[in-house]
Amino acid sequence: MAHDREVLRMIWEGQIGICFQADRDEIVGIKPEPFYLMISRLSYLPLVTDKVRKYFSRYISAEHQDGAVWFDFNGTPLRLHYPIGVLYDLLHPEEDSTPWCLTIHFSKFPEDTLVKLNSKELLESHYMSCLKEADVLKHRGLVISAMQKKDHNQLWLGLVNEKFDQFWAVNRRLMEPYGDLESFKNIPLRIYTDDDFTYTQKLISPISVGGQKKSLADLMAELSTPVRKAVGCRTHGIDLHEETQLQWMSEHLSYPDNFLHLSVDYKDV
Amino acid sequence: MAETLESQAALSTSSSTPADKDGSKICILLNATGNVPIIKKRTWTVDPNKTVSWIQKFIHKFLKLDASEQIFLYVNQTFAPAPDQIIKNLYECHGTNGKLVLYYCKNQAWG
Repeated sequence: MAHDREVLRMIWEGQIGICFQADRDEIVGIKPEPFYLMISRLSYLPLVTDKVRKYFSRYISAEHQDGAVWFDFNGTPLRLHYPIGVLYDLLHPEEDSTPWCLTIHFSKFPEDTLVKLNSKELLESHYMSCLKEADVLKHRGLVISAMQKKDHNQLWLGLVNEKFDQFWAVNRRLMEPYGDLESFKNIPLRIYTDDDFTYTQKLISPISVGGQKKSLADLMAELSTPVRKAVGCRTHGIDLHEETQLQWMSEHLSYPDNFLHLSVDYKDV
Repeated sequence: MAETLESQAALSTSSSTPADKDGSKICILLNATGNVPIIKKRTWTVDPNKTVSWIQKFIHKFLKLDASEQIFLYVNQTFAPAPDQIIKNLYECHGTNGKLVLYYCKNQAWG
């Protein structure tokens, strides 16, 4: 049960400072000043950049005004359907405390590299699919299928409008073990290494074979091989203590999509 | 019925090893749902790093669908995976009896 409300609130309120700049090849006339914005770690770029798009569209040519918007960091196109916090923790150099500098583009959407989940409708559909998959892993899909459409809507609106209470009124049902059970069946988990967008998913139970609650140290042991050892784990920009319990992590540190997104550091043995 | 070399090659990478003898390949079961044409051969082996999008495109091409038509893919009739998700992850988490069961259709089926 996700009862540690302080932690839930802190995670919810995590923000990143972003500095948006225009694509030089798209500007017509005066070069615009950069646009600074504080953005929720938990949201998605297409949901929080309407203002940014409006601001820069004044400086670009008419033919590009209605183009499909996308963003890059240092030449790397950013996946629009990944939570912003995940993108940031993967790409932003840790030592650098200045705002994260992104370039906004209105043309030449890289269809081969980026999935075009760039509208609110497409993102909502993707978000609901993530929730369904997470629920299948945690509860065999029983909790989400028992919810009504209005509950699903409330989750999405809570996320879009950044309303903690609205969101968690429904999400807490997804963050409880099913019925009389003590824990989730499996933990929804996406594991990232280095700055690679392609993550690994594995079936990870929160309970060991012996019936004990597993910790992050247990997870890292499962991820290690004879030649490569998992030595550290981060999420939401936080280095996690290896004694943290997996069930607790899933309940409190998951993104709104109900997945834990963990960056794992490895060391060659 | 023997599959053609063309269909075999589409879902196999190396030509010398028969696909199902290569330990790392993943076995997928394709089930049609709704009013989509049925692919007779239901079992295929796929490179683990292939994406959902790759499978969608394969089915689209195999069924010779119109450019305006879309293929939706679902895992076990429960959720639609993201187009850039890799088959390996889906199999690890949702595979049953050594196979990953995927449902394909031309319309949204399970939301």
